Amino acid sequence: MSLVNFTTREITCKIVYYGPGRSGKTTNLHYIYGRVPDSRRGRMVSLATQTDRTLFFDFLPIDLGQISGFSTRFQLYTVPGQVYYNATRRLVLQGADGVVFVGDSQARQLDENLESLQNLQSNLLEHGVDIRTIPLVLQYNKQDLPRELILSPADLDDALNFRGVPSFSADALHGKGVFETLKGISELVLKKLAAGTAA
Amino acid sequence: MTAPAAAYGKALDLITRVRGVRGAMLVSAEDGIVVAEQLMEGIKGPAVSALAASLATRLRRAMEAAGVGASLFWHLQAEQGALLVVPTPAGTLVVAVAEPDVNVGLVRLELLRAAEVVG
Amino acid sequence: MTTRAVETWTLEPLVKFVKEAGARLVLVMTSAGQVLAQHGFSRAVDVMSAAALGAAIMASTDEMARELRQPPFAALNHQGERHGIFLAGLATGRGRLVALVVYDLDVSSLGLVQLFFEQLAADLQAASPKDSVPKQVLAADFERQLSDSLNTLFGR
Repeated sequence: MSLVNFTTREITCKIVYYGPGRSGKTTNLHYIYGRVPDSRRGRMVSLATQTDRTLFFDFLPIDLGQISGFSTRFQLYTVPGQVYYNATRRLVLQGADGVVFVGDSQARQLDENLESLQNLQSNLLEHGVDIRTIPLVLQYNKQDLPRELILSPADLDDALNFRGVPSFSADALHGKGVFETLKGISELVLKKLAAGTAA
Repeated sequence: MTAPAAAYGKALDLITRVRGVRGAMLVSAEDGIVVAEQLMEGIKGPAVSALAASLATRLRRAMEAAGVGASLFWHLQAEQGALLVVPTPAGTLVVAVAEPDVNVGLVRLELLRAAEVVG
Repeated sequence: MTTRAVETWTLEPLVKFVKEAGARLVLVMTSAGQVLAQHGFSRAVDVMSAAALGAAIMASTDEMARELRQPPFAALNHQGERHGIFLAGLATGRGRLVALVVYDLDVSSLGLVQLFFEQLAADLQAASPKDSVPKQVLAADFERQLSDSLNTLFGR
């Protein structure tokens, strides 16, 4: 739930990057961390295993500056993608204002994408949230891989984008599509806030 | 603390059998938590233990600053009663809450014996 | 000592608690990890990270309690060499919140924090308004400002 401070005119929103294991959720945050000036971001916290797989979450607060007279902050979280960590994944979703689903564009990962999307739906439901109402964008990551290995954004839209939400093709490692994705989810979250339904 | 848990009850028995003692406690000096207690109704064990431990920390500093070494026994006399404490070298406070006219010498003796038991 | 509060009703109880318990810092946050109020030495920790981590710890232990089929654990404490942290749930008119207390072992103790935390919980419950947060409507032109902000942020 967005936190609005009317006294100091501040808005804080929680955005969760969701998706199957190794789809590039943490890579998105690393790229954002690297691009945003020091003064506009907080410390990035990563709770990872010894092999650098996300165990609980990554956390990155960023300061968007003044939006409509409000000093606006986004708190970006990732979830652990591995199936095994569903309990912690569900916890990170708590209170999310928006979700970025980071899919892996490799054709052989399609089932994992579908499973993760279904898992998102059921975990949101556990928190009493309908996936059809929460701000959601899809990111089709790893579009830089050879064409014979990946599905096109159009194919991925057919397979995954049942809500017809904004989708972005990306190569998060090199930053392509990361900004557009963040912009896409930011707009949806703030639109919902503007409509007065998120407070 | 080296004594087994059963010894704590015996140590407290030594103190509470003195006439005028309304309760006795073993308190962890570091975190102010009650380790064992035998208290009459109306004595707030967690509050006494937390504040006594806090006081013990400050007293220790005062003793150090005064260059007189560690405190061995303290006795705080109030209008309606007294608080008597013996700190053990292992970091436990042996605490007695007593009536105002209690035999302080006897309570002190039993606190010291209890302190030996709990270590 | 610094004080910041999204909701001012939290302030008086927090200031009183920090003074009485000898705490270094206390944060009150939502269960999603968003800070509602803070009082104390904010340089003690990175506040936003601490809130995110604290909320995550609470969420994990709540889940453990659920696995054990019992109500949420009341509190948990971690003690290091010099500092301790104490985390506990708070029932308020704003729903269940989480408090994170950072304390120095040479000034305060778990016993003191626990002792005065009970009072803090009662004070916050008494002070919390029952009405919901008013709905906020951003100006219609926020999208352009958002776009400008993000462009600046990413150096575009």
